[in-house]
Amino acid sequence: MKTIKRYILLLAGLICSLTSIAQYNPDKVCHLENGQLIFTINLKWSEKEKNEVSKLFDLDSVLMAKVYKGETVILIDSETWKAKKVKPYIVELSKPIQSNADQNIKANDLFTVVDKWMNFEGNAPDASVVYGVNDFKIANTFLYHQNDAWFYLPNNKSAGKVYISGTFNNWSTTQTPMKAGTYGWTVDLNIKPGKYAYKYIIDGEWITDPYNKLREGDGAGGYNSVVYCYNHHFELKGHKEARKVAVTGNFYKWDQRGLQMNKTSDGWSLPIFLRDGTYAYKFLVDKEWMTDPANKEVRKDADGNFNSFIEIGESFLFKLDGFTTANKVVLTGSFNGWNENELLMNKTAKGWQLPYAVAAGNYEYKFIVDGKWMTDPANPFSNGSGNTTNSFIALKANHLFELYKFTNARSVILTGSFNGWRKDSYRMVKEGGKWIFPLYLQPGKYTYKFIVDGEWILDPSNKLYEQNEYDTNNSVLWIEPS
Amino acid sequence: MYRSWLTYKIIILFFLSTASMILEAYAPPLEVANHSASNIAPLFNSTILYQTNIYTPEFNLNADSVIVPLKRAGHLFLIEATVGDQTGNLVFDSGANGLVLNSTYFRNHVKSSGSTPSGVTGSLGAVEQIAVNRLAFADLSYKNITADVTNLGHIENRRGIKILGLIGFSMMRKLEIVIDARKNQLKLFKIDKAGKRLTNSTPEFKADHTQKIEGNSNILFVKGIISGKTLIFCFDTGCETNVICSDCNRSIMNTLTITRRSELIGAGKGGSEVLFGRMNDFTIGNKKIPNMETVITNLGALSESYGTKIDGMLGYDFLEQGIICINFVKRQFGIRFMKGEEK
Repeated sequence: MKTIKRYILLLAGLICSLTSIAQYNPDKVCHLENGQLIFTINLKWSEKEKNEVSKLFDLDSVLMAKVYKGETVILIDSETWKAKKVKPYIVELSKPIQSNADQNIKANDLFTVVDKWMNFEGNAPDASVVYGVNDFKIANTFLYHQNDAWFYLPNNKSAGKVYISGTFNNWSTTQTPMKAGTYGWTVDLNIKPGKYAYKYIIDGEWITDPYNKLREGDGAGGYNSVVYCYNHHFELKGHKEARKVAVTGNFYKWDQRGLQMNKTSDGWSLPIFLRDGTYAYKFLVDKEWMTDPANKEVRKDADGNFNSFIEIGESFLFKLDGFTTANKVVLTGSFNGWNENELLMNKTAKGWQLPYAVAAGNYEYKFIVDGKWMTDPANPFSNGSGNTTNSFIALKANHLFELYKFTNARSVILTGSFNGWRKDSYRMVKEGGKWIFPLYLQPGKYTYKFIVDGEWILDPSNKLYEQNEYDTNNSVLWIEPS
Repeated sequence: MYRSWLTYKIIILFFLSTASMILEAYAPPLEVANHSASNIAPLFNSTILYQTNIYTPEFNLNADSVIVPLKRAGHLFLIEATVGDQTGNLVFDSGANGLVLNSTYFRNHVKSSGSTPSGVTGSLGAVEQIAVNRLAFADLSYKNITADVTNLGHIENRRGIKILGLIGFSMMRKLEIVIDARKNQLKLFKIDKAGKRLTNSTPEFKADHTQKIEGNSNILFVKGIISGKTLIFCFDTGCETNVICSDCNRSIMNTLTITRRSELIGAGKGGSEVLFGRMNDFTIGNKKIPNMETVITNLGALSESYGTKIDGMLGYDFLEQGIICINFVKRQFGIRFMKGEEK
């Protein structure tokens, strides 16, 4: 009998502890009652739960500390909170709901808070995607060759108007009509290699591509179709007897399953989109690793393994004149995580050079000459100051900021939404009677200003500007998808 | 994107934009002028009145109906349109009375003759009026219309999308308006003097619930019930979240679940509180809609602007509940909750 009682007590204790755990439900922490905002605080919450509640409801750490200390009337920022213990471990913390708001609150602060809560996703093209392979149900509903893309939507012959809308045309619903043909609708687009999201609009009705298995969330509860425009073919001749051939590399995080290649008449092939850059890769022939026999560019990695290398996109020739007596010159920068050993430059008659392919972007870099770090003496563009000054380069820059006049100014800074409105960068360079600074900017909107010897001015050559929170204006620049 | 404080946003944003436009139609000028005392900072406040109470420009549409595909940016619905010589996005914002254009792209346009900007007190930018020689979207086109111009850069900056302006109901008042948010479609039907669709091939809209449109404004006020009490909501397609007034009856407030709170620190005394949560007891007609997200804020000042007491705003979350049909000729607001294709 005693044993049974013990079990009952144990069970009761277990239920009590479970109840205690179950009391943490963020949805039940705060409620409104008769004009009071009431928080039900459990003094047994873990630090993690306590922190989460403080964050969700913006409860001041001093306020929470005082509640846990047992204070009953707490004054924080001219607001009086009352804490009342309603159960041994439960405190009701309350204050009147605020009825008058501060008129000086900036609209953008409010927007920012609500946006964060609502967790909106953008529709912007994803320029950071490293690789991509298409997956169409019917192969010929999409074709791509040297910037020419062809989309084919079979059937729908009774439709009056069909458009294609996607990241390539800023999701325009009117700019890209499709042509009616015997078997359906087609459109030719001139677009660069890359990843694109799209939909068709049939007589005003949005649909994903019914023949494309690749989709991603559209940020509004639906889906967009996704297509990759290829810029590379992995090819492996022979090995026809193999059951499975795959390719893997640093673009695929060296996943050992690899991307499966397709059997062709003379071997194996995989068309793919690879973002501009330098990649190491190997083939997996029935799980046997091998370098690419058709590619002479084979390098040894830090572990002593040999990998094939390819460069996608145009490479940029980094050059350092002089220093011909140096033993070793290394190129290092933000494009390779400031690796000090990876990019050894090649000696030439005049100095050192290294062709290097890297995706379009803004980068900082330095040379390391026999262990000594130095900026590029031939590059007038730099970022940072003092010992932290680095050479700056915008590879495949798509916008040149120019400021005519002010040629007598001592310094001109270009600042804007692209660099967090820093006051010390980017330093423009005087060249040919004007100040210039080239940048690579992803498609989207940018606001900016010039700081001429400390004075903030609009871009006099740009007629687009908007009011800012200081009741002055900012110049406005839109970069369209290319 | 919006309400209460959100509203503020909204308010600030569309609401305001909207509100100010609407004011002309609904509120007497004196009341409008009081709007500047609001604790809700409008996107822009305008005391500009159009020459007529309701501005409903003539349009040209060669078919009996048209489907306008809507684009989305966050919870905003966008219509691609050509305004003058520029093509871009207009936010479909039933809180805006007419056409409101972004000063970034239209400040250099010729000022409208016959109207003078006056009494502009908006905290984020002044309002001017311009004449627009052409507005076109889908198969609809308008000639020589009047538009307000104000700064809408903050919407662009938050959503990363180019916004030429806002477009409200006044541009389509003579059409039956069907909003299918789930399918991202706006359908417009030509109607006769009795408000019936011209085309025989499309049957009349079948609503689960209809309400009479009160007043003579381009802003729609919709009645909903919470905790047995009837509340007046502004129906605003530019509102990215619903909003409910924090000074509503306490029994109404008691039905809300609060999931987020934020204290915004201002330059003045004290901060401002933003509450976010869910309406658990909202009913329209006989249909209870649980779990609609809402911002809770003080809308008193906004009510003043509208010249009528409003208890909240119904925006994105409400639009997602079904297909909404608005017929200003029949003075009828209808909603069909069931899923499926609108015919």
